[in-house]
Amino acid sequence: MARIQIDNLSKHYAGGQLAAVQTFSLDIADNRFVTLLGPSGCGKTTTLRLIAGYLKPDTGTIQVDGTVVSSPEGVTPPDKRGMGMVFQNYAVWPHKTVFENVSFGLMIRRLGSAEIRTKVMAMLDLVGLQGYEDRLPSQLSGGQQQRVALARSLVVEPGILLLDEPLSNLDAKLRERMRSELKQIQRRTGITFVYVTHDQSEALALSDEIAVMHLGVLQQYGSPRDIYSRPANRVVADFMGQVNFVPGRVVGTGEARGRVALDGGPQLPVDVPAGMAHGDAVDVAIRPENIRLGAAGSGNGASMPARVAELTFLGNMNEYVVAGANEARLRVQTHPTVLFGVGDSVALEFDPRQCTVFGRQAG
Amino acid sequence: MVTIAAPATLARPKTGGIRLEHIVMGGAIASLIVLVVLPLASLILGSVSSEDEGFSVGNFVRAMERPLYYRALINSLVLGAWTGLFSLLIGLPLAWAVSRTNTPFKGFIRLTASLSYLTPPFLTAIAFVNLFGPNAGLINAALRSAGLDFLTFNIFSMAGLVVVTVLHTFPFVYLLATSALESVDASYEESAQILGAGKWRTALQITAPLVAPAVLSGTLLAFVNAIALFGSQAIVGIPGRIYTLPTRIYALFDYPPQYGLASALSLIFVAITVIALFLQRGYLARRSYVTLGGKGSRPQLIDLGPFRWVMFGFTVVVFLVAIAAPYASLIGVSFIKSVGLWSWENVTLQHYRFVLFQYDVTQRAIGNSLLLAALAASLAVLIGAIIGWIDLRTQLTGRRFLDYASLIPLGLPGIVMAVALIQFWLATPFALYGTIAILLLAYTGRYIPLGVRAANASLRQVDSSLEESAHILGASWLQTMRHITLPLIRPGLFAGWLLVFVPAIQELSASILLFSSSSITVAVAIFNLYETGYIEPVSALANINMIIIGVAILIANRLGGQRATTSD
Repeated sequence: MARIQIDNLSKHYAGGQLAAVQTFSLDIADNRFVTLLGPSGCGKTTTLRLIAGYLKPDTGTIQVDGTVVSSPEGVTPPDKRGMGMVFQNYAVWPHKTVFENVSFGLMIRRLGSAEIRTKVMAMLDLVGLQGYEDRLPSQLSGGQQQRVALARSLVVEPGILLLDEPLSNLDAKLRERMRSELKQIQRRTGITFVYVTHDQSEALALSDEIAVMHLGVLQQYGSPRDIYSRPANRVVADFMGQVNFVPGRVVGTGEARGRVALDGGPQLPVDVPAGMAHGDAVDVAIRPENIRLGAAGSGNGASMPARVAELTFLGNMNEYVVAGANEARLRVQTHPTVLFGVGDSVALEFDPRQCTVFGRQAG
Repeated sequence: MVTIAAPATLARPKTGGIRLEHIVMGGAIASLIVLVVLPLASLILGSVSSEDEGFSVGNFVRAMERPLYYRALINSLVLGAWTGLFSLLIGLPLAWAVSRTNTPFKGFIRLTASLSYLTPPFLTAIAFVNLFGPNAGLINAALRSAGLDFLTFNIFSMAGLVVVTVLHTFPFVYLLATSALESVDASYEESAQILGAGKWRTALQITAPLVAPAVLSGTLLAFVNAIALFGSQAIVGIPGRIYTLPTRIYALFDYPPQYGLASALSLIFVAITVIALFLQRGYLARRSYVTLGGKGSRPQLIDLGPFRWVMFGFTVVVFLVAIAAPYASLIGVSFIKSVGLWSWENVTLQHYRFVLFQYDVTQRAIGNSLLLAALAASLAVLIGAIIGWIDLRTQLTGRRFLDYASLIPLGLPGIVMAVALIQFWLATPFALYGTIAILLLAYTGRYIPLGVRAANASLRQVDSSLEESAHILGASWLQTMRHITLPLIRPGLFAGWLLVFVPAIQELSASILLFSSSSITVAVAIFNLYETGYIEPVSALANINMIIIGVAILIANRLGGQRATTSD
């Protein structure tokens, strides 16, 4: 229900020495589920708190539906922004019952008590907490507290909901369930969700768009599929799950697709970044599930010979570590039925459509 | 990849301008400056200026040259050192017995320690004069009539002063040592035992080094508090011609008052206190690794065997000396017509009638004391809460300085606080000297550190996200404070209130220089009555004082306890 435009935003800590967020720009369309993703200390929470109005930017502006709400000259305080926020530790007030927690924002807005009751009850229904309204938070499980926090933020019908790692304190099963509930609620309400997490699988599962951040800088903004299979740089490739960097050399450019010869392996028809010349050293990024493992000699010549160094059975897959040319280690994932023993000679086949080429030194 | 949209409309963001919280914060900062910073500044200024020469260090030179003054300094140090040592010798065994052994009747040990701490030190001093006055002391007289002259003890001596002071200060060692001993994670000791160390060896080589910083820190606190106690040093020291810094400073206010010299002596006093507190904080900081365990299990108790009865006996002795004997003497003396005649015909209520209804000072003094203590406790906690909130929740430049400024009074003994306030307010056009207002300023200023500490401790328990989630739901600062922050920290603030109220209602060291006949307090009334030599009415008034303190604590606990449970 609201569009957020972040323009050239910076925030420094510790007397200007440390840049928590650097010249960060992002246009979040109305009605989207957007995730700020990155390791701890990447500036994602700072960005969220800047959007919420808890922090004042050093440079840049934040606009909501075309109105500037944050700039170095001034910040509309959080209580005047009409946003909602769900915190990592839930921040459910321990001295208030579930009903009092959820009704707080409505009470601040001076709604009539009958109206408050109707809205709160409907919201508790939505998050599956009917019958819990008189409980104190100490009598609730972590998942239930999380729902209270969610209900409390949603009941005031904010245009924007900010969520700061809201699932990280839940156990794995509950996390998965809350994940799908969150997505459903976003679809149903049309509220713009800005979600912060360090968990890439969570980001992939939930988001319409992901903004990957590292050291305060936006690395890539795009759909989950784009970010996963077309990483903009090494940092993104590395952060979005396991990845092999296979050394090689550019042997062809200028055509629709370039060609890269892997060291000790086949030539692959891949996209070569602009500005690279014949003979440049590159790394080809390829994820473990995109390498096929076959018996030695198979794969009609376009394969790389290797030897199995480690094998781990993970239930739904086998994970191999193989030693290729120059003993370079590669991680390969296969269906559990594709079985080789440690020490076996194997052939590696690479899917060229899933490869991304990066220059050797530069990101 | 990234669209950079040109700003559609550049509406001025609503910054809110001056908001209510800025006014509240400004008020707290201003009161801290008026209560603490300015008086201290004028004390320093007063010490280095003299009427004829302008700037001069002459006051300090005189303070250090004349035996009258440097002996007071030496006496204070000697008193502090002995008191510290004996506080350690009494407090540590009791702490160890309670937290680590199977000594019986631990509740009794705890009771002894808290009663000793709660008893106003000047009452202990008066009681011991009743018992051990060189001529009329009850025990001394009894010993002489039994022909045991060599056992008599003259309370008007350094030894006597140490005794009455230690009975008030050993709880500092006891409390810090207990909390340290109880927070040592059992796994530290268990790992020593699994490696083959016996219980006693573990206690000596693992536990003792871990808790030593806390114990030392408690000893230094005992030192600092001991040298600051005006009441016992005046009651026991002056008759024995043992002048200390507080009593010497007090004497400098006899006509004609020597403000410059009093300020210089006060600053020397402050220097000693600050050095001791600096060391104490250092030790306490080193203590931090003790509590790392947190969730660890409770350590096993050492089975003392028959020796546990020796520990119990030790407690009984402490109880008899610190609690039973003084209270028995105060109660006994208050009900007899005159000391020395012990028979039923001699039992009377006349002293109570006298102090309550005939001595016109008492009622006014009780009213003043209750009013002052309640107001000072409320103000100290209120200002403390705001200062603590600024420190923990805002990015205000200079908030560290605020934090330090709020700790300054810890380094100011009561009488020094009084000297500083007199210096400051006499230099202003406000005629506060001699009013109840200056007493309120003194009390509030003295106990602000307790308020800040209580507020800080409870605010730290409240994650800032609890406040932030109220803000983002549209609650203003005031609404957030009212509905979220204050209800959550109320139990802690209440404990802080009581922590200020109890010492404030028995405050003597600062009041003695600041009171007038209209603003007199109970502690001052007792002290003045004692000076005139009527021991029986003094005892009656002392008991009334204890009853007031006890009832006040009970009521406060009842009120606070109820609120704390309903808000849970």
